[in-house]
Amino acid sequence: MGNVTPTITDLLHREQANLAKFRRALRREDQLVFDDLFVAAYKHRAAAAYAGHLLPFETFLLAMQLEDHKEVLRMRREVDYLHSQISRLQARQNE
Amino acid sequence: MNEFTGWLLDLYPSPGHGIALWLICEDGQRRCLYQDFPVTFYAAGRSHRLRALWAFLRKQPFHITLARTERRDLFSGSTIVLAASLDQPSTLPSLFQTLTRIFPDLTFYDTDLHIALRHAAVYGTFPLARCHIVTDRQDKICELDVLDSKWDIDPKSPPLRVITIEPDTDPFHNNPQKILVRSQKSCVSLDLNEDSASLGLLSYLLKCADPDLIITSHGDTWLFPLILKLAKAQKRSLPLNRDPNAKITYRKARSYFAYNQVIYRGQQIHLAGRLHLDIRNTVMYHDYGIDGVLEMARVTSLPIQTVARVSPGTGISAMQIVTALKQEILVPLRKEQVERPKTTSELFHDDMGGIVYDPIVGLHEDVAEVDFASMYPSIMVQFNISPETVNVGKKTSDSVMNLERITAQEPQGLIPQTLAPLLTKRLKLKTKLISLSKWDCRYKNYKANTAAYKWLLVTCFGYLGYKNARFGRIEAHEAVTAYGREILLRAKDVAEDMGFRVLHLYVDGMWIKKAGCRTKQDFQPLLDKITTTTKLFIMLDGIYKWVAFLPSRQNKKIAVPNRYFGVFQNGDIKTRGIETRRHDTPIFIKETQIKILEILTAAPGGMQIASLLPEIETVVREKETELRLGKIPLEKLIIHQTVSRQLDEYRSPSPAFVALKQLKKVGKSLRPGQSIRFLYILGKQRSRAWDLPYTFDPRTVDIARYWLLLTRAISAILDPFEVTDEIILGKNKQLKLDL
Repeated sequence: MGNVTPTITDLLHREQANLAKFRRALRREDQLVFDDLFVAAYKHRAAAAYAGHLLPFETFLLAMQLEDHKEVLRMRREVDYLHSQISRLQARQNE
Repeated sequence: MNEFTGWLLDLYPSPGHGIALWLICEDGQRRCLYQDFPVTFYAAGRSHRLRALWAFLRKQPFHITLARTERRDLFSGSTIVLAASLDQPSTLPSLFQTLTRIFPDLTFYDTDLHIALRHAAVYGTFPLARCHIVTDRQDKICELDVLDSKWDIDPKSPPLRVITIEPDTDPFHNNPQKILVRSQKSCVSLDLNEDSASLGLLSYLLKCADPDLIITSHGDTWLFPLILKLAKAQKRSLPLNRDPNAKITYRKARSYFAYNQVIYRGQQIHLAGRLHLDIRNTVMYHDYGIDGVLEMARVTSLPIQTVARVSPGTGISAMQIVTALKQEILVPLRKEQVERPKTTSELFHDDMGGIVYDPIVGLHEDVAEVDFASMYPSIMVQFNISPETVNVGKKTSDSVMNLERITAQEPQGLIPQTLAPLLTKRLKLKTKLISLSKWDCRYKNYKANTAAYKWLLVTCFGYLGYKNARFGRIEAHEAVTAYGREILLRAKDVAEDMGFRVLHLYVDGMWIKKAGCRTKQDFQPLLDKITTTTKLFIMLDGIYKWVAFLPSRQNKKIAVPNRYFGVFQNGDIKTRGIETRRHDTPIFIKETQIKILEILTAAPGGMQIASLLPEIETVVREKETELRLGKIPLEKLIIHQTVSRQLDEYRSPSPAFVALKQLKKVGKSLRPGQSIRFLYILGKQRSRAWDLPYTFDPRTVDIARYWLLLTRAISAILDPFEVTDEIILGKNKQLKLDL
C-alpha cells in the first residue's frame, strides 16, 4: 500500500522512547504521572495525525495540555457545584 | 446451421480451433463449440527496434497479421505501436516469453491477458452468461449474443450438475482410507486400499453424473494428484476433463507477501470443460461460499476456477482490464509510473489514511452505528478519481476542503467507469436485503453477493496505491483518503451540531448517542443532514442496546479502536477484536465467549445484568470443570497460527516454532503462509504439533495455560460490567493461584 511515512502511533512510541532516560531518572510517583501524560497523547492520535505537523511532539504536548485542561474544567465545575451546595446549606442554616 | 441457447460454462484456447466454449444448453446437453478468435498484442519503443520485432514476427511459423497503428496509453496518451494479431490464441504465451527475452527494451501491451477477459471485451460474455449461439456444421460459432447482463439482480440460474469428493480425514493430519463421492442422487465411499476397483468406480461415477462442477476438499493439493498418479500407474483413463482433447492445467504452489501478511496458495488443478473447486484452496470461500464465487466470476469475467483461487484484487484488476479493452486503451504488462518526488511536508500532508479515533472506553447504551455505504469507492465515482484524472485543475487541498472535484469533470475515468455499476448493484441488493426475511430463498444468495462485492470494492481502493497495479497511481489513492477524512469530519460536525455525542469514529463510520434517541426515526434527520452535507449516502447500521469499547490489555487507560462488542436492538451480536474474532483462538474458548455473550443479550440495558450473573457463573464453572477433567475434545483446544517465515528464520523458540520443528522431524514441512496447528502441553517443549503421526497422551495437555486463555476471554467481555472477579473466581479462591 501507499504509506511510506511512519504512522502517528509509531511517532508517539518513538518520542516516548527518546524520553526513556528522562523517565528513568524520575521518582517512582513522578514516573506514574509521566506515563499518564502519554496516555493523554495517545487519546488524540487521530487529531495529531490529521494535523500532519512536521514536529508531531508539539501536537502531543498540546494533547497532554488539552486533557489537563479538561480535568481543570471538570474540577472547576465540581468546585462550583460544591460552592453552590455550601451556599445553599448556609442559607438554610441562616433561615 | 444450428442454434443453441444456454449458459456459458467454460472458455479456453483450443490449439487449431481458436477457442473452445462450453455451453450448458437449455435442452440439458453440454456442448463444446469452437470460435475463431484472433488476439492482438502491441509493442512500443524505438523505431529500429520495432522494425526488428516486425522482421522477427514475420519469420514465425504461424500466421501473424502486423500493422503500425495508434493506440491510447492511459497515462501518456496517444502512442504509435506495432500491432500483432495471432489467429491462434494458444500460441501467444510461449511467443511472448520469447519476445521478452529477445526484446527486453520494448514496452509490450495486451500480452498477458486472460482469454476470457478479451472475449468479455469483444462479446460482453462472462461466466454463466445466457447466450444465444448460431454455429455452422463444424460447430464453429458464426453468431454469439449475450441475453442477460452481469448486473441483473436475479439472473436465471443454470441447472449445474455438482458432485463433491472429499477424503475421510485431513490428509495432512492422517492417512485417509476412503474418499466420499456425493452427487444429487448418491453417496459412494471408495476404499483407497483397493485402488484399482475404486478408480474404476470413480471413473464410472464421473461418466454417469457428468458433473459441471466438482467440489473437492484437498483436491488441488492431495486428492487429484493422487488419483491421477494411480490412474497413470494403472494406465487407466479418468474422465476428470470433459474435453478429451484438452490437458489438465497445473499451477504451482507459492507464498507471497500481501496486506502485511504472508499468504500461501497451494498447487492448483484446473479442468477443461468442467470446473474444479477445492474448498481448501480457495480465497474468501468461507466468507461467501459457492454463490459468492459464481457471482465474483460473473462480475469480474474471470473463469470460475480462476476467480475462486485469486484475491479480490485480481478480480477488480480484471474488471479494469475489460473496461480498458472495450475502450481500446492499452493494458501495460506492469505498472509504468513512479511516484513524483515530494517534499517531506507534502508527504506528511498527503500520505495519510482514514481518521480513526480512540473510542471512549466503557459501556454505552442506545448507541447508533452509522456508516457511509462503500465510502471509498463512492468517493472515486462521485469525485471522478482515477489514475489518469488526478492532478488536473485546482489545488488539491482547497478543493477537497470544499468537496469539489480535484479531477477533470469529463470524461469519466477508468476506475469510476468500472466501479459505478458494481456500486449500484450492491446498493440495490443491500436495500432489498433490508426488507427481505432471513427465511426467503434469495436471502442467502443476496448476502453472499454483497459480501463478494464488498471485497471487490475494498480492494479497489488499495489497488490504486498498490505498487504492482497496472492502473495504480499513488496520488489517486491519497486523494481518496483526503476526501474520506474531510467527509467523516463533516459528518462528525453535523452530529455534534445536532446534539449527538460522538463516541467513536472509524474511517467511514460513527458511533453516536443522544439522550432520548432510541429508534430509527430518531436518527433519520441526522442521516439526511449528513447525506446533504457530504453528498455521500450514509446508512444506519443498527442501534445497540449497549456496546462496550474495550481498553488495551497492556494499558487499561488506552483505548483500542477496533476492539468492542455489543448487542443490537434486534438481538444480533457484533464483536470486533476479541477472542471470537481471532483466528488463533481455540474453538473451546470461542464457544464459551459466544455462550456468555448470548446470555448477555437478554440484558435490557448495559448495567442491568445482575439477574444474569448466576447463569454466566454456571457456564464458567461448567467449562472450567470440563477443562480440568479432560472432557474437552482435543480438536477444540487446537491453536491455529500462520507460519510467518522459514524455520531457520525464527529468532525465539515460540510454540509455533517448536511445533514446526517437530513436524519437520517426521518429514512434514510447512511453507510461510500455511497454517500450523498445535496444542499447549506440559513439559519442556510446551507445545505439540497436531499433525504428528504418533499417538498422544491427553493428560499432558497444559490445563493451566488453557484456563489462563479462557479467563482472558471471559475478562474481555465481563470487565466493562465490573463483575469479572466475581464470576471467574467464584467461591473457589484457589483458582486465583492458576492465574
